[in-house]
Amino acid sequence: MRRQLTRTMKVTNVASALILTVLVTCVGMGVTFGKELPPVRIGAAGPFTGDLSKIGLDSLNAIQMAVDEANAEGGVNGRKVEVVVADDAADPSKAILVAEKLAMDKNVLGVVGPMNSSTVNAALPTYQRAGLVLISQSATNPSLTELGYRVMHRICPRDDAQGPAAARFIVEEVGAKNVYIIDDKGTYGQGLADQVAAALKKAGVKITRGQITPEDRDFSPILTKVKTVGPDLLYLALPNPAQAAALIKQAVGLGLTPKLMGGDGLKEKDQLIAGAGGAAEGMYVTAIGRDIKDVPQAQGFIKKFEGKYGAMSIFSGQSYEATKLLIAAMRKAAGDNPAALTREAVLEAVHSTRGYQGILGFPISFNAKGDVVGASIYVFKVQGNDFVQVEEYPAEVK
Amino acid sequence: MEQVLAQLPQQVVNGLTLGSVYALLALGYSMVYGILKMLNFAHGDVFMVGAFVGWGVLHLLTPGGMLAAHPLVVLLAMALAAMVATSLLGGAIERFAYRPLRKSSRLAPLISALGVSIILENAAMLLTAGRAKAYQTELLIPQNWTVHAGGATISATRLAIIGVSLALMFALDFAVSRTMLGKAMRATSQDREAAEYMGIRTTGVIAATFLIGSALAGIAGVMIGLYYMQVDFVIGFSAGLKAFTAAVLGGIGNIRGAMAGGLVLGLAESFGVLFVAPVYKDAIVFAVLIATLILKPAGLLGEQAHEKV
Repeated sequence: MRRQLTRTMKVTNVASALILTVLVTCVGMGVTFGKELPPVRIGAAGPFTGDLSKIGLDSLNAIQMAVDEANAEGGVNGRKVEVVVADDAADPSKAILVAEKLAMDKNVLGVVGPMNSSTVNAALPTYQRAGLVLISQSATNPSLTELGYRVMHRICPRDDAQGPAAARFIVEEVGAKNVYIIDDKGTYGQGLADQVAAALKKAGVKITRGQITPEDRDFSPILTKVKTVGPDLLYLALPNPAQAAALIKQAVGLGLTPKLMGGDGLKEKDQLIAGAGGAAEGMYVTAIGRDIKDVPQAQGFIKKFEGKYGAMSIFSGQSYEATKLLIAAMRKAAGDNPAALTREAVLEAVHSTRGYQGILGFPISFNAKGDVVGASIYVFKVQGNDFVQVEEYPAEVK
Repeated sequence: MEQVLAQLPQQVVNGLTLGSVYALLALGYSMVYGILKMLNFAHGDVFMVGAFVGWGVLHLLTPGGMLAAHPLVVLLAMALAAMVATSLLGGAIERFAYRPLRKSSRLAPLISALGVSIILENAAMLLTAGRAKAYQTELLIPQNWTVHAGGATISATRLAIIGVSLALMFALDFAVSRTMLGKAMRATSQDREAAEYMGIRTTGVIAATFLIGSALAGIAGVMIGLYYMQVDFVIGFSAGLKAFTAAVLGGIGNIRGAMAGGLVLGLAESFGVLFVAPVYKDAIVFAVLIATLILKPAGLLGEQAHEKV
C-alpha cells in the first residue's frame, strides 16, 4: 500500500514538474498568446564546438550581428528575427540531428550553414524533406549542388573552380614539377585533392598522393613517405588549420622543407600562422572570397565586428552576407502579410536572388543549381603574421 | 621497393619514438590490472591532462613568445608539474571513483572508469573550448638539432623521448624488483588477502600504484606534446586505446610485457604505414594484436606470472 502511495506521489510530482517546465519554456521563448506575430527563426548550423569551433563561433557571431541589425530595422516586416543555434561539431551524424531539430520548429524559415561539405552532404535530405532553404557560407564540394536538392544554396565557389585555380598557380607562379598532395579522406579534403590532382596531371606535373585521418596527430609516418618522394611543393587538402599547423611543424623536425600550399579551410590566422610558430611562413592558400578588408562596403561591418568580438576569422564576412541575404529574401517574400510567410516562399525568394550587393565585393546571384555566380578564387601568401593576396582567378568551372 | 627501403630507417625511428611513449602509458594499465584486475580506462585521459598541464607551464614561462628561463629549466618544470598534477589526479580517481567500489562486482569499477574518462575529456573540452593548443617545442629544443644515421633524421626531441622513457622504465623495473614497496606491490598482486595477513597495508600499496602509474602518464603526456607539437582534448582516447592494446599485447599485468608491447605496437604502426598506407595504421595495429592473441593468448610475455605486478 505504502509502495503504491509513493508511486502515485511520484507520478504527481513528475506531472507537476512537466507542467512547470512547459510554462517556463513558454515564458522563456517569449510566447505572448495572440498579441503579436511569432518570431521568424533562422537556423545557424555549423561547428560551434570541437576542432573547427574557432571558425564556427566567429561565423555564429557574424550571424547574430546581422540578425541584431535586422531587428533594429524592424525585423522581417514586423516579425522579430531570432537565431537558433544548431551545433554539429563538424560531425555529419550530428548535422542530421540538428537538421531534424530545425525542421521540426515551424518558425524556422531558413538556415545559414552548415559550413562543412561533409555536414551539408549528410543533412541535405532532411532539409529537402522539410522544404527548408539553406545557404552555406563555406561548403565547397562540387557534388552538393549537383544532387538535385532545391533547398541547397551556397555563396562560395566550388572546389572544381578552386582546385584548377590552385593548380594554375602551382604551375604558372611556383613552377613546381613534383607535387605531393595530402588529404584527410573527408568530403571536402579528398574532393579538393581530386580536383587539384586532376588539374595538375593535365599540366604534366608529377603527382604523388597520401592520406591521413582527421584524428591523426602524429604525422611522422606520412612525412617520411613525403621525404622519399622529395616534392617541390606539398599541397594540404585539409579542413582543419590546427592539424595542418602541427603537420607543418613536424615536417620541419624531419628536415623536410618543400614549398607549401593549402585550400580555403586553412586560411585561419590564429591556428595556422600562430599555431605553426613561424613554420608556415611563405605558405600559399587559396581562398573562396576576397579579403573583405579590401572591399569598401565591408568597412562598417569589419569595424563593428572587430570592436565587438576581436579579429575576424575566415568565414565571418561570408556568414554575415549569407544571413543578410536570407533576411532580405524573407522580407521580399513576406510582403504585406508577414504572418503568412512560408518556407516555400522564402525558398523561392532566396533562389531568385539576382545581383544582391553586400560586403563580399561582387553582386551575388544564384544559378538554377543554387551555386553562386560571379565569385573569384584568390591566392594568399603567409607573410609575417598575416595573409597577403598575391593572385586572383575568376571562378570558372570547365 | 626502392622507396620502401629508403624509408625503412626513418620509419623504424618513428616507431621506436611512438612505441616508447606507448610503453610508458601501457605500464600504468598493466600495473593497475596486475594489482586490482581492473582496467583503468581513465588512464588515457590522465595522460591528456598531463599534456595540458605541461602546455600550461610552457605557456606561463613563455610570456610574449620568449622563454623566461633556461630551456632545460622549463622542460624540467613542465615534466615535474605534469607528474605532480597527474599523480594527484590519479590518486583522487582511485580514492573517489574506484576504492568505494572495491567490494562490488568486477563490472562496477570498469563502468566508473569509463565515467571518469568521459568527465575528464569533457572537462578538458570545456576548458579549452575544444581547440588545439600549440606546443612551442621549437623554443625549447631547436628543430635543427638532428642526428643523421643510416638515412634517418633523428631530432633531439626524439632522442630525449626515447632516452627518458627507457630510463623511467628501467627505474620502475628496478623499483618493483628490488625495493620494499616493489615487493609489497608484487605480494599484493599475487594475493591481496594473504599480503594483508603479512602486515602489508594493501590500500596504501594500491594508492601508490595509481600515483606512480599516473605520474608516468603525466610525463608521457608532456613528451607527446613536445613530439606532436600540439595537444587537444581527444588525444587521450586514441593514446589510451593504443597503450591498453600494448599492455594486452605484452601480457597484461606484466611490466616487462607492457614495455615490449609498447615498442612492438609502435613499430607495427610504422611498418603498417610503410607497407600498406598511413590511413590503415590503426587497423594494422589491431590486426597485430589479434594475431598475437590467437598465437599466444596470454600475450608476448604473459607466462611469467611471478613477475606480475
